[in-house]
Amino acid sequence: MNEKLDNILASEPELVPSSGFLGSVMERVVEEAAAPPPIPFPWKRAIPGMIVAAGVFGWGGFEFVRYAIHDAPLVSLHKMPVPAHIPSQVDQVLWAAVACAVSLASWLLARRLAGRSGLI
Amino acid sequence: MDALAQSAADSAKVDAADLDAADVARVLAGDVRAFEGIVRRWQGPLINMAWRYCRDRGRAEELAQEAFLRAWRGLAGWRRDGRFSTWLFALATNVYRSDLKRFPTVHVPIEDVDEPAGPASQHSALAERSREESVRRAVLALAERYREPLVLFYFHEMDVSAAARTMRLPEGTVKARLGRGRALLRRRFPHLEETATEISNLNKRKEA
Repeated sequence: MNEKLDNILASEPELVPSSGFLGSVMERVVEEAAAPPPIPFPWKRAIPGMIVAAGVFGWGGFEFVRYAIHDAPLVSLHKMPVPAHIPSQVDQVLWAAVACAVSLASWLLARRLAGRSGLI
Repeated sequence: MDALAQSAADSAKVDAADLDAADVARVLAGDVRAFEGIVRRWQGPLINMAWRYCRDRGRAEELAQEAFLRAWRGLAGWRRDGRFSTWLFALATNVYRSDLKRFPTVHVPIEDVDEPAGPASQHSALAERSREESVRRAVLALAERYREPLVLFYFHEMDVSAAARTMRLPEGTVKARLGRGRALLRRRFPHLEETATEISNLNKRKEA
C-alpha cells in the first residue's frame, strides 16, 4: 500500500517556472538593494529620555503605593461616602503642573530627536 | 549504469554547491546581480515545493518569490557548515508555512475529500489523473504536523533525512509523523490498492 501511495505522491508533475519569474524576482531584489538602508533607532539619544520616563513612572508608582498604604487604615465602610483625606487644591494643581511639564519635556525631546534625524 | 548516474548526480550537486557558495560571496561583496545565478538554479525546486504546499501555480510563484527575497535579505545568515540548498529550503519552508497560516488554502476535512472513483470509470487517462489528484489533495487536508513531513519527504525524493533537515526536526519524529500521515491516507482511501494496480496495468498497456 505504501508503495502505491509513494508512486502517486512521488510522481507529481514538475512545474516549469514562468518566463518572467526570474526577471520579477531580480527586479524586486534590485529595488531593495537600491533602497536606502532603514534608519536605525537612535538609542543613544533615546536612552536618557527613557531613563527619565522610567524614573517619573517609577516615582509616580512609588508615591501611589505609599499614598494607598498610608490611607488604607483610614478607609472604612462607615467613612466611605466621605473620604478621610482629600488632597488640597494646591496639591492637585502641583500634580497637574508636574504632569504638564513632563508632557512638554517629552514633546520637546521627541521634536529635537526627530529634527536631528531630518524627519521634520 | 546506476552507479554512473549516481556519480553524475553527486558531481552535479557538488558543482551546484560550489556555484552557490561563489554567488553568495559575490552578493555579500556587493554584486547584487550575482543573486540571479542562485534564483536561476533554485527557482524550479522552490516553485515546485510551494506548489506541493498550496497546489495553486500563481500562489506557488508568489511564495517562491517571497522566499527568494527573504533569502536575499538574510544571505549573511547562511553558515557555511551546511549546504546552501538546505538553508534555502528551510527558509522557504518557514515562508510557506507562515504564509499559509495567514491565508490558508481551502480547508477541506480529510473525510470530505472525494474518494477515487470505482473501476467503472477507470478507462480514461483523465479519470486516472483525477484519482491521483484526489490523493494528493488529501495530503493538504491533513493536519500540519502530518502534512508537512509528507510534502517534504516526497519533494526530497523520499529522503527522510533531507526532509528532517528542512524541517529542523529529528529524523525519528519525521518518520513517526510520516507513518501516521500515511495511515490516515490509507484509512481514507481503502480502494487505493486496486486503483494503483489498475493504473500500473494501464501504464503497461500504454507503453506496449
